[in-house]
Amino acid sequence: MRLIFEKSIPGRVGFSLPTDLFDDMKIVELLPDDYIEKDKKDLSEVSEVDVIRHFTKLSKYNYGVDDGLYPLGSCTMKYNPRINEKLAALNNFSRAHPLAPIELVQGSLEIMFKLNELLCEITGMNQFTMAPASGAHGELTGILLMRQYFIDKGEKRTKMLIPDSAHGTNPASAAMGGFDVVEIKSNENGTVDLESLSKAMDEETVGLMLTNPNTVGLYDEGIIEIEKIIHEKGGLLYYDGANLNASLGIVRPGDAGFDVVHLNLHKTFSTPHGGGGPGSGVIGVKSDLIPYLPTPLIDFDSDKNMYIFKDVGSKSIGMIRSFWGNFSVLVKTLCWILSLGPEFLYEASKNSIINANYILAKLKEYYKPAYDRFCGHECTLTGREYKKYGIKTLQIAKRLMDYGYHPPTIYFPHFEPYADETIMIESPESEGKEILDDFINIMIKISHEAKDSPDLLKTAPHITPISQTDDALAVKQAILTYDDELQNKDKLNYSEENINF
Amino acid sequence: MRYIPSTKEQQEEMLKEIGVSSFEQLINNIPNSLKLKSKLNIPSALSEFELEENILEISQKNANFQKFKPLIGAGTYRHFIPEAQKALLQRQEFWTCYTPYQPELSQGTLQTIFEFQSYIARLTKMEVVVPSIFDGASAAAEAILMSLRLTHKNKIIVSKLIHPHYLKTIKTYLAPHNTIIVEIPFENGLTSLEHFKQSIDNDTACILIQSPNFFGGIENIKTFSEIAHQKDTLFIQIITESMSLGLLKSPGDMGADIVVGNTQSFGLELDFGGPHNAFLATRKKYIRQIPGRIAGETRDKDGKRCFVMTFRAREQDIRREKATSNICTNHNLNVVASNIYLSLMGTEGIRQYSLLNAKIAHYFEKKLLETGKFEKMCEYSYFNEFLITYKGNDINRLSKILIDNNFVPPLLVQKFYPDTSLQNTLLFAITEIFNRNELDSICNLLSQ
Repeated sequence: MRLIFEKSIPGRVGFSLPTDLFDDMKIVELLPDDYIEKDKKDLSEVSEVDVIRHFTKLSKYNYGVDDGLYPLGSCTMKYNPRINEKLAALNNFSRAHPLAPIELVQGSLEIMFKLNELLCEITGMNQFTMAPASGAHGELTGILLMRQYFIDKGEKRTKMLIPDSAHGTNPASAAMGGFDVVEIKSNENGTVDLESLSKAMDEETVGLMLTNPNTVGLYDEGIIEIEKIIHEKGGLLYYDGANLNASLGIVRPGDAGFDVVHLNLHKTFSTPHGGGGPGSGVIGVKSDLIPYLPTPLIDFDSDKNMYIFKDVGSKSIGMIRSFWGNFSVLVKTLCWILSLGPEFLYEASKNSIINANYILAKLKEYYKPAYDRFCGHECTLTGREYKKYGIKTLQIAKRLMDYGYHPPTIYFPHFEPYADETIMIESPESEGKEILDDFINIMIKISHEAKDSPDLLKTAPHITPISQTDDALAVKQAILTYDDELQNKDKLNYSEENINF
Repeated sequence: MRYIPSTKEQQEEMLKEIGVSSFEQLINNIPNSLKLKSKLNIPSALSEFELEENILEISQKNANFQKFKPLIGAGTYRHFIPEAQKALLQRQEFWTCYTPYQPELSQGTLQTIFEFQSYIARLTKMEVVVPSIFDGASAAAEAILMSLRLTHKNKIIVSKLIHPHYLKTIKTYLAPHNTIIVEIPFENGLTSLEHFKQSIDNDTACILIQSPNFFGGIENIKTFSEIAHQKDTLFIQIITESMSLGLLKSPGDMGADIVVGNTQSFGLELDFGGPHNAFLATRKKYIRQIPGRIAGETRDKDGKRCFVMTFRAREQDIRREKATSNICTNHNLNVVASNIYLSLMGTEGIRQYSLLNAKIAHYFEKKLLETGKFEKMCEYSYFNEFLITYKGNDINRLSKILIDNNFVPPLLVQKFYPDTSLQNTLLFAITEIFNRNELDSICNLLSQ
């Protein structure tokens, strides 16, 4: 589709100006010549109408949760309630300045205070920080505070244990925290191999980062032993909350002995993904780790009868961002929890687990599961059967687009020998049975096509605005801005059909 | 429950197809001792109507921010946001979608990112733009980590006039890396060039200067960057007020190697401090060391121009512990918001608005000085934010008058710089949301 720059016509405007432009103030008298750009910076020149049509058309080239099933495993693409969006956008919240005197922002502080209480109850932890902006940002926060805990105790621990099924952010965050990553293999049940864990855990190891249920969608039934192994050596247990949607009201990480927990509010707690954020990766800890949390926390001062910012103190890791948290995401989270209450939080997890096991049961004959056992809120199938027909899992995913579905997560998790050519499917509680039935039928249909007419898969997708992309070419030509394109105009030599569709 | 469509009967049917008689059988592998024995102790579900009343009531414990206007900036600025942008952001296709891993279904997001990268490259005169890191503070920390990887040096120099939250964040991020952090003091509202010259040596990986700085002052970027480059030190410029890019010389022309810019001023609400967004812009030669996601242009198999996430071999999902950063989810929707904003403003709008910001702030400073109750704190050039000293004794009274008249008071900078002689010094940020009458009446209030 044409770029906004290609729609630009000199002289067009999309903004309005106040009548008083303070022309009595002369800019040449206010700022030295050396500091001012002589010419306007060339952006684009389009009208408001042009902008509305440009982005409306662009939006139609996206696929959202409101378009249909978005079965990305480990991403929990659930419905984003409209009322939550409206309430988070109330002017009293959205126009609150983070450094305004606290008597002007008591409502905002109350939101954060109340959310802390609810999240503590849901997870079995003692205190949350609302600061982290994403899951990975939460991981880094958690890792840095674990590091500080051991420094404070005078212990030198240099290693972090991470299962091979973990998200890539886990090892990347551990490395940013200055730790050496030790990978723990999964066993034949798809869970942490206790013997390997025992061998790897020692007094130079910080602990284990665990996702439970893990990224294959399986509850780690060894959790009690795991907890013992880590804690016996003085280590700490970190909970990656990416898959908490399988646990609400059923089991709490705090009760299972986890010391640090991050939650992805944009997964479990229904806040929108926004095409890649903003989300929020709040961190909860047990009491003995509270002194290390980022500063400040929100507290209620009963003498003053008001909410206040409380400095965490000298042991705090400090700040991990500017200001206090992704506030509007916190409002939406609070709204979701209050709307569901204890019964429906449980029902949310229950339905997501039933959905995943239903898909597993119906599709396992066609797409061999990585592990043939009941799963949590997501199931991991594989496309390996179709290799012999020359079909890659990627092509199965692309063919789904022709039937109007967003593909599941593919090629993750990946670890030999159990999990390769993986298709990880998650269908949160906001998907009803008839949607799943339709998806299942399409998946079965594609499995037949893979054998009978593989070319249909190899050339898919066919009905999307663009077809398969050349990812290697993107790196080779390294066109990262419109000016890069202009410099290569002759070489690229686009026809009208190439750019106007 | 309206967000959970499957009926009891449908759930039963599914359980039967799965081959179990009850849901509990599906969660058998969770140890019984860990399963919750009773319901979570949280309030019962609220109806939509009750929820709305409940949250509205909490929101009313804030000041009425429909009426209140902030005289404070200090890292986040209230600017006008056009309705067309807000309306476009309502399109669910932009906000209910996931990270654009499947380009065939994500061209809306990917092209938007590409356009934003193009705008920022033109505003900063840089070549490569990482469109989104969480905020200016985390992006500044990522820029430093990048400079440590590029230079293999382990000392950094930071101006004390970068946003205090950014400085704290940098220290938190760098704690595991044993980096030597040298802080440069300020003189007359600007970073001390003399101290910088004394501190820089061949072991210095980078220097961070914010301009306009935390006190609003425009730093002499060119001089700093030239000295840095003599020592093979990377020059990193931080910008918290991106509106200044419409008027001030581009960082790229002044020798910046990395630019970190908070883009909240481009069409984002204050939102009590977040979610905002920051870009990280740099030179193409450094592309293998950038953190985060970028979009690049390519073709589909029919030859159509399209966009994908590119140079992915640096990222955590591929490189794991060897990735350039752990960042995965960023603040993409805010990139969409800022891109729409910049499209509406365009070449002329950004220039006009940034001119207006500079003029209006200087008008207000002039008027404040005319009251006789204030005096200049320092002689420096600034954009739309400035320091001024209150000559009276009761600064709290001043705040109270402003609050009583629906203004959020300016920042008392002593809150962040307790060890200096900044008592009674205020940091005002004045943007296009004010008109002349309002500013005159504020001066009247403050001169009483």
